[in-house]
Amino acid sequence: MKLTRRTFFKFMGAAGSTVVGRASSANAWESKAPPDSYGCLVDLSRCVGCRKCEEACSTVNGLPAPERANCQCTIFEKKRRPDDTAYTVVNRYFTGKLDTFDKPLPTFAKVQCMHCQDAACVSACIVGALTKDETGAVHYDVSKCIGCRYCMVACPFEIPAYEYDDPITPRVMKCTFCYDRIKKEGGIPGCVTICPTEALTFGKRETVLKIAHDRLRENPGKYIQHVYGEKEVGGTSWMYISAVPFEKVNLPVLPETPSPKLSETIQHSLFSYLWSPIALFGVLGAVMFTSKKHTDHSNRKGGD
Amino acid sequence: MIKKIIFFMGVFLFLMPGLSAAEVWKAPDQEKAKERAREVVPFVKEYKDDCLINRRTCLVDAGISIKDVTTVYFVLGSPVIKKREDHYEPVRFAHKRHAALTNDCSVCHHFRPKDENALETTRCSACHQDSFNPDYPERIGLKAAYHQQCMQCHQNQGKGPVDCKGCHLQNVPDHKELVKLPDGADPFQVTAECLRCHDTQADDMLTTAHWLWKGPSPYTTGHRKDIMHGKGTTALNNF
Repeated sequence: MKLTRRTFFKFMGAAGSTVVGRASSANAWESKAPPDSYGCLVDLSRCVGCRKCEEACSTVNGLPAPERANCQCTIFEKKRRPDDTAYTVVNRYFTGKLDTFDKPLPTFAKVQCMHCQDAACVSACIVGALTKDETGAVHYDVSKCIGCRYCMVACPFEIPAYEYDDPITPRVMKCTFCYDRIKKEGGIPGCVTICPTEALTFGKRETVLKIAHDRLRENPGKYIQHVYGEKEVGGTSWMYISAVPFEKVNLPVLPETPSPKLSETIQHSLFSYLWSPIALFGVLGAVMFTSKKHTDHSNRKGGD
Repeated sequence: MIKKIIFFMGVFLFLMPGLSAAEVWKAPDQEKAKERAREVVPFVKEYKDDCLINRRTCLVDAGISIKDVTTVYFVLGSPVIKKREDHYEPVRFAHKRHAALTNDCSVCHHFRPKDENALETTRCSACHQDSFNPDYPERIGLKAAYHQQCMQCHQNQGKGPVDCKGCHLQNVPDHKELVKLPDGADPFQVTAECLRCHDTQADDMLTTAHWLWKGPSPYTTGHRKDIMHGKGTTALNNF
């Protein structure tokens, strides 16, 4: 049989219909969020910008002391990001709110890994160095990491940092949710322990979420009626409530679909039961078979 | 460097009598306040949910005013706080002074225990104890209660400190282990040892009026007519 235009389209049509059939049957993407995980609520209206969380974090995790640890003014003049020497930083924002003396009222916002329920970094990690633990922590295993830094690209909050200055044993650096502390009974992350005003509330995610909604309900007019992180990218372990709009304190507007949902659906439907390689090689085999027959035939003809 | 050495020699000489004294005098009310801060009172589970205006009326009706303030001075510390962390010295709180300034007990004594026999103005640590108690999720811990109450009021009134060191002394580590000096060290060695860690403080001191003061000195014999006499210009130590 000669591979005509017609037969080629026949094959491709058959293959295409299988793809569509498979994809529609494999759309059951399921969240891998642990059922009884921990969470932490940041109440931005309570934060006073003392930066003790930064100090506690560096002590607990053995990081270098934060930049100008006791400074509560000039340090805020530049916006900082968590990096390989600090898992968490506090930034100051003037959002146009005024205090009782008509002076601009600052809002302080702590930034750290949000420990997403369905983390993009976990999905992007090709060696399983990042895992979502049953405590809720997105746990990093340095022994598995190959340093591809896909996690840094994948993260919607741009959190993971990398030890670029260490050529031999570089690590991806991000908040650990004080994994070693919270997996013990009654353990609390370092930053939460030290917070003087309880701007950080730690507990089971369900409890913390309930506290957040209670606070929104019991203080009408004080807060923006939204718990940031309840639904963003499918929910995060760290959640925020605030008296000022979230985008003004550098918390990005994000969709409610978990980041890995689309990519994983495509990947998983393409490779379930290895149907796509089988189909591909089937098509290629058929093409080879038909064209070989054709060549044999023409060769024989030429040999006469 | 010489300026720093002389300054620290001065500090050392000033501290000498204090170090050598065998028995240190302690303020009796300070000791009493410390003892009180060490007490842990039984946790009050239920409170009477009056709104603030009611509360104020209740206190007035009960005949409680500033005259009834029995404890003048508190140390705001508790084993409940120390259990979690020990970062700063506890705050010294002038209770009666604050009562007199606000003239409203309900500012801090905002609720009362449900138990009718309990004191109308019970102490903070009766209701606010450990943070994140799962049975009382919205009841904030003692440390947070102190900080929110103090700082919010100071901010709203535009009075009183809102920074850490405005109220707290930093928890000073035991210098017995940090200071390494040979026996019979001379003053220069002592100063150098201080400067080993406190060089920033020494630098700061050199830019303050303690080192740079100058001006007229009408009551100093021999310098009555000087107008620019002082450490910053002509006086001793300034070389």
